[in-house]
Amino acid sequence: MTDGPPAPPEPQERARIYDQGFRRYHGARTGVGGAVRSLVKHSLRQSLGIGRSARYKLVPLPIIFMAFVPAIGLIALAALIPVGTEDFLPTYAEYYALVVAALYLFAGLVCPELLCNDRRTGMLGVYLASPLDRPRYLLGKALSVMLLLLVVTLGPPLLTLIAFTLQNEGPDGFGQWITVFLRILASSAVVGAIYGAVGLAISASTDRRVVATATILSVIPGSAIVTDILVNDGGMSPVLRLANVMFLPRALVHRIHAERGGWPLGENPTWTLWLAFFGWLALSAGWIWYSYRDLVVQR
Amino acid sequence: MSNSTIVGKNHLHLNLSDETIPGGWETLVESDGPATERDCGRIPVVFGNTGRAMPDSTPTAQRPRSDGGTQTPDGGLVQAESLVKRYGSVPVLDDVSFTIKRGITGLLGANGAGKTTVLGLILGLHQPNGGRLEVLGRNPWQAGPEVRARIGYAPEHHTLPPDLQAAEFVRHVAELHGIPPEEAKTRSSDALWLVELGEERFRPMGTMSTGQRQRVKLAQAIAHDPEFVLLDEPTDGLDPTQREVMLELIGSLHKDFGMNIVLSSHLIDEVERVCDRAVIIGGGRTMAEGTVAELRGTAAETVTAEIDADPDQMVALVAALRGSGLSVRTDGRRLTLAVDDRSDSAVDKALDELRDRCLDHDLGIVRLGRRRLSLEDVFLEHLR
Repeated sequence: MTDGPPAPPEPQERARIYDQGFRRYHGARTGVGGAVRSLVKHSLRQSLGIGRSARYKLVPLPIIFMAFVPAIGLIALAALIPVGTEDFLPTYAEYYALVVAALYLFAGLVCPELLCNDRRTGMLGVYLASPLDRPRYLLGKALSVMLLLLVVTLGPPLLTLIAFTLQNEGPDGFGQWITVFLRILASSAVVGAIYGAVGLAISASTDRRVVATATILSVIPGSAIVTDILVNDGGMSPVLRLANVMFLPRALVHRIHAERGGWPLGENPTWTLWLAFFGWLALSAGWIWYSYRDLVVQR
Repeated sequence: MSNSTIVGKNHLHLNLSDETIPGGWETLVESDGPATERDCGRIPVVFGNTGRAMPDSTPTAQRPRSDGGTQTPDGGLVQAESLVKRYGSVPVLDDVSFTIKRGITGLLGANGAGKTTVLGLILGLHQPNGGRLEVLGRNPWQAGPEVRARIGYAPEHHTLPPDLQAAEFVRHVAELHGIPPEEAKTRSSDALWLVELGEERFRPMGTMSTGQRQRVKLAQAIAHDPEFVLLDEPTDGLDPTQREVMLELIGSLHKDFGMNIVLSSHLIDEVERVCDRAVIIGGGRTMAEGTVAELRGTAAETVTAEIDADPDQMVALVAALRGSGLSVRTDGRRLTLAVDDRSDSAVDKALDELRDRCLDHDLGIVRLGRRRLSLEDVFLEHLR
């Protein structure tokens, strides 16, 4: 039974505005959290050259590829060799030795890109005129650097773990798998944090990107050379090796994976390694804050 | 005529039928009365007297805001009392007091007068060394993020990230001010169309002219719909044509969208042209404040005359005029009368006095003029 066709809607109800052009905004706002999220998103896009011409992708993408090459090679090797003869393959902790160059190259690229550019192009003034204040701006930048470095510190070992697991050569049992996974996660965070912190601290000292990149690429391996000379040739205390920011994170990765090793800091007690790690983080954070606290934004 | 679609300049697309509009479509098109507001469904749309749909232009003051917009107790957007700001031992602002009300306010001062410092204080970027400042009812130094979320700011510098597309830049700034990402994308396009950069919005900013970059800065300042906009030297580096376009845009932002604007400039004529009010800063102090008309009224009107007289006769004439209570300056055969009361009757009285004293001394008036004062005269007078 029907009551006939439904009555047509009132004329006013049928009227629709499809596009009004610029207008006032009365919707909800995302607050300071939204500002930090936007800063992180924009920073990630900026560093990876997303939304920019091809030349902005020329440097970051090959470095990321460099970090993944050993992982892909190991996976291929593990698939080709007979089961039971894979002992010569590096452990997860040893993997970082293969990609250390890519890691610090990436740190030397992204940290200046994210901090120096903002000061040079006037974006820092635009950010500080938004709901972001200096601590939140620096927090957003630190998060961005950490996420970017995790691409190269976490991505390859995680890929290796998953591939080995699929090839039936991964950890035995679920509990063991989770343990390895958490160790990879912690190792990646440690490596990313220390390279990121040092990279940001150096980048906070200048608005010249090239100067910052050159300094980062000199200071990180330079710390290894200087401490090695002082301890080996100068006969000074091995404690000085804790200033070796290049190999300190690698030594910590070995301890996280419950392995000895991590040359040249293999003989240093674990607690001193952690102390040095947090010392580097605190020193870097302090320097960054000192550089930005009273920075007068000229542009 | 049912289901007609209008594609207006401001991208307003309406799907209308005769039944939608009381009296029908033809009535609307031919209407030549004052602008009327018709209820289109539940969305108010303002129709201009030509029948073209226009942007919803209800002034901000009449609009409810989701974030509970507030004003200073006297209804101003910004209220400053005896502000002091020093950089180290260098004083920049010594005693600056002003009120910024709704409308377009010019912040006028010579280069280095402290205009950008005032903007920085309003944004909560600097802590004042003394005095009191309230922005939208809050102390900007203590509530910086909340205050800045409701302010749009176009900085003076021209260096924007060269590799970044204009649309991405404007969208990013809108997101920073709390606009959700999808809405920010739409609004960035709309803002760039509004400043007539719609076709150029995907161009990297490094390839844009100075005029286009200034308009991008304007777009990013308004995209998040702030309660008021701070524009720091928005015509800096523009040629006369671009300057005209920029000033028209600024004027239309207030007229069409009810936006409140603070225009910082050292160019008096542009403040005089687009601003309702002005604050003049110099020597670290507020020199004058008020509506442009009021400010013009704070200075004496001048009457200039060239007299056919020798020096002795000029001395006698000046003495006679001063004896009548007039303020007189001379330069050879030329004299200038300053009339503090700018009413027509006072000026007429001064003219009558000049005529009578010239008759008394049997002198002829060669040239006579009354100078209409501009804001520049006020500015220069305060500087003196």
